[in-house]
Amino acid sequence: MSDGPSPRVVGESRSVNGAFGLLAWVVGLAYFFPVFWMVLNSFKSELDANASPKLFFHPTLDRYRDVTKSTTGLLSFGEAFTNSAVVVLVSTLIVLTLAIPAAYALAIRPVAKWRDVLFFFISTKFLPVVASVLPIWILAKNLNLLNTRMALIILYTGINLPLAVWMLRSFFREIPRELIEAAEIDGAGLKGQLTSIILPMAAPGIAATALLCVIFAWNEFFYAVQLNPVQGSTVPIWVTTNISTRGDFLAKLSAASVLACIPVVLAGWIAQKRMIRGLAMGAIK
Amino acid sequence: MNTTLGTRIAPRPLGLSESWRRRLPLLPALVFTILLTQVPFVMSIWYSLTDWKVVPPTPRQFVGLGNYGKLVSDHFFRQAAWTSIELTVVPVLGSILLGTAFALLLDRKFFGQGLVRTLLITPFLLMPVVVGLIWKNQMFHGLYGVINWVIEKLGGTPVEFISRYPTWAIAATLIWQWTPFMMLIILAGLQSQPGDVLEAAKVDGATPFGIFRQLTLGHLRPYMELGILLGTVYLIQVYDQVAVMTGGGPGSTNLPYFVFERSIGGGWDFGRASSYSIVVVIASIIIATVALRVLSGLLKGEEIA
Amino acid sequence: MRGTVRPWSAAVLFAVVVGLAAGCGGSSKSSSSSGSSSSNGGGKGGSINVAIVDNPQMKDIAALTPKLFTAKSGIKVNYTVLDEGTLREVTTRDVAAGGRQFDVAMIGMYEAPQFGKAGNIIDLTPKATADPTYNLGDLIPSVRNGLSADGKLYAAPFYGESSFLMYRKDILKKDGVTMPPHPTWAQVAAIARKVNTPNMAGICLRGKPGWGDLGAALTTVLNTFGATWWSAKPDGTVDKAQVNQPAFKQALQFYTGLIKDAGEKDAANSSFNECLSQYKDGKVAMWYDATVAAGLLEASDSPVKGKNGYAAAPVNKTPASGWLWSWALAIPKTTSKQDLAWKYISFATGPQYIKEAGAQISGGWPAIPPGTRKSTYEIPQYKQAARAFAKPTLAAMSAAPINNPGTTKRPGVPGVQYVGIPEFQDVGNQCTQQFSAVIAGRTPIDAALKNCQDIASQVGH
Repeated sequence: MSDGPSPRVVGESRSVNGAFGLLAWVVGLAYFFPVFWMVLNSFKSELDANASPKLFFHPTLDRYRDVTKSTTGLLSFGEAFTNSAVVVLVSTLIVLTLAIPAAYALAIRPVAKWRDVLFFFISTKFLPVVASVLPIWILAKNLNLLNTRMALIILYTGINLPLAVWMLRSFFREIPRELIEAAEIDGAGLKGQLTSIILPMAAPGIAATALLCVIFAWNEFFYAVQLNPVQGSTVPIWVTTNISTRGDFLAKLSAASVLACIPVVLAGWIAQKRMIRGLAMGAIK
Repeated sequence: MNTTLGTRIAPRPLGLSESWRRRLPLLPALVFTILLTQVPFVMSIWYSLTDWKVVPPTPRQFVGLGNYGKLVSDHFFRQAAWTSIELTVVPVLGSILLGTAFALLLDRKFFGQGLVRTLLITPFLLMPVVVGLIWKNQMFHGLYGVINWVIEKLGGTPVEFISRYPTWAIAATLIWQWTPFMMLIILAGLQSQPGDVLEAAKVDGATPFGIFRQLTLGHLRPYMELGILLGTVYLIQVYDQVAVMTGGGPGSTNLPYFVFERSIGGGWDFGRASSYSIVVVIASIIIATVALRVLSGLLKGEEIA
Repeated sequence: MRGTVRPWSAAVLFAVVVGLAAGCGGSSKSSSSSGSSSSNGGGKGGSINVAIVDNPQMKDIAALTPKLFTAKSGIKVNYTVLDEGTLREVTTRDVAAGGRQFDVAMIGMYEAPQFGKAGNIIDLTPKATADPTYNLGDLIPSVRNGLSADGKLYAAPFYGESSFLMYRKDILKKDGVTMPPHPTWAQVAAIARKVNTPNMAGICLRGKPGWGDLGAALTTVLNTFGATWWSAKPDGTVDKAQVNQPAFKQALQFYTGLIKDAGEKDAANSSFNECLSQYKDGKVAMWYDATVAAGLLEASDSPVKGKNGYAAAPVNKTPASGWLWSWALAIPKTTSKQDLAWKYISFATGPQYIKEAGAQISGGWPAIPPGTRKSTYEIPQYKQAARAFAKPTLAAMSAAPINNPGTTKRPGVPGVQYVGIPEFQDVGNQCTQQFSAVIAGRTPIDAALKNCQDIASQVGH
């Protein structure tokens, strides 16, 4: 299959295709507009940002200076980024480490009641986060995990694991059986099969899964604020420290949001094609 | 690639050691998930059987099913349940429709195709809290919102979106954020469509619309079902946008926000809040079972070795 | 399979971007932040964790703490800045369920006496009396009262506010009306309807759901109209919900009717910040809200600087109706660092900080924490910088009817714009959702009142 999408409806005239291209551009720009507006607001003064929409204003970098100014004792931009990076990357690695063998056991050499197991994984996503936070807080308190990055690493692993198991299982189903059989005949165990065949072949799917895990973990706010609001906290918490109950904050918040979203947005932009390929590989069967 | 190709391994009788060999790789993930989700779940069940308020601190008392009895007559809970259904069904369907439309647009070659796709996926990558604040303060605002600014420039009267249509405003925001996710899945579906079949249909003189309806849609169905399933799992949990945009205002309190209000959001009545959440979980699982087993063909027809 | 390795480049790139960003912005001590809260040593004098709300005054003190406090005491202070709602969730649970996340927690006047009575926070009176630099007698009496239970001070006020009416002198003058210094609600409503135009609303009133948003403004109106949420038994507990009484309906009708006739646009979605924007933008002529707003309206970059008049909170049946609120610092019973915690509180809420801050914070003298001490209003620089609003603010703070807000006895601990019982937060949140729907024109007033009566009736049963 070619890397990019190919024209599906063949034989149409150029003008029709051109019209569709134009439409796609209009839709794309309109859809992106709120993001563009947020970026624009991040260069305004608070007075301009909290008034009727203005197209002409004095652009300033002051809001970026405001939000990145670091003060001893206050969660700074840099600390929040470090914490988020550690929490997100470590939890995503654990997710993959746990989900890959599990997906193997659900797809390639399935356990007896694999449907029920798969359903169990998905069903855990239905316990409302707001309801589970209290028992989790009490557990974390008793285990001395409040205000630690470890608490968030464990929770984000739990949040993303069902999704990862579900998706990886689909990708693994796509791998031709005879390849695995051949490896098995050659005497390869689980580890051998994984490293020699499954992981290389399912790489786009694994990457797509990892990216989704990263997106959800990077943007998670509720558990972070409930369990670890103190110094070791993450980027979403840092963003909300720029809100003010008594005074304007839109421009500052916009600047903080732009900075907070950049890593994930960049990763998403760069990986989008592979993500589609990963999903196409077999999210279904 | 095609799943039907290749010989499947012939079913072997599973001996004890064999079945455990199969289970072993599953165990770490399963044990982790059970510990992390079922321990709090069981704790919640226990809380739901007690009368337990943190503020003012009262000794926890076992009240049996008392909390569940109160729940039956609580019309605010029913209202929240209805809002929850609205705030799940509307965004899921809206984003799957819009996502399909976008995917169809992107599945052609045109100048700057990659750039347009980049623009379209961005909302999915943003933080939900930030998305709520952008839409509330910069798009929907009754006075300073961009939408009303455009409406006024076109000679219309401004609309107070968040006050007048709070649930719809939240739903629109959710659709905006989740459409790219659906679009990616549908796009994946479109690209895995075998080109030769389409070619053949074309040669047979089928109209583009006919091809779309008869071939493409059928092929996309499982992808749409996947999108609906994953979308539902995440959208049923929506809390951030409700908290940020309306604070549960006029009729926009969904179940997660309702449970939040009863517990740490001010009610501090953990006994009753837990009973609500247990009901929510059970109802969600019933709905999901129906969705998965009856409506969906996702897991059907998979013959497993 | 060509290209199967490439997907990882995205992950690597992500890691690099994050790593670079963290490296560039990272300060020297990111590693010390990871461990559990109690173990990180900080300076030689120890360290404490402090939770504060996201008001500008709190952010100022956070910025000045290393220089004005840590340098002298050696005590390192780790701040957690949260919005009002989240702060309340986190601190209430921490204090009430013993999470030991914080050594000092900022709580509101609503919580302080309740937590104190419940034994969750320590009595500060002995420490405050023994500390010569603190000057306990200097606190504004109404504020001290509101933060005390049975004569014991449970939280030290950092910031205080009342409510009053702000209006555009130029607009009222143009329309030939004058605002009396102590107006009644009838007078204010008449003026609002008179000056109301399609481009400029007569008055901005809170309409956003929340016991601290619409709930606060509306309850002051309820009070002065002779209405109340609940009647009280002689022992001070809740007797019966009074939402179905005529006075309640009359007050709610007045409030929602005034918004409908002469209120701001999108009122059901407006609270302090939304009204602030509209007032500064010339979209409203009057605004009834917190006294702290005056400092923002008179700030050097404000477009309405110098154009504003300030009148007492409007009344109907009572002599005064302004609310009373304070953000105050308390010490949870569970902390092992009570002495360090008090040293910090004495610095943050003592008279010395206010004197030092004026010259050092970006907003200058008008931005110092107001409404806690009488001595603040005697500092010459502050009197000069805040001449437009210092007097009306102090008058409003002193007049706030904390012990006798309405015409009948209230249940619970004292409170003006709230009822001092734990259930009010929940009832206020739910009922203001109903009333906000009335303001938005989505619910008839009688249906909202009936729902609210049902909600309020669950208290005490």
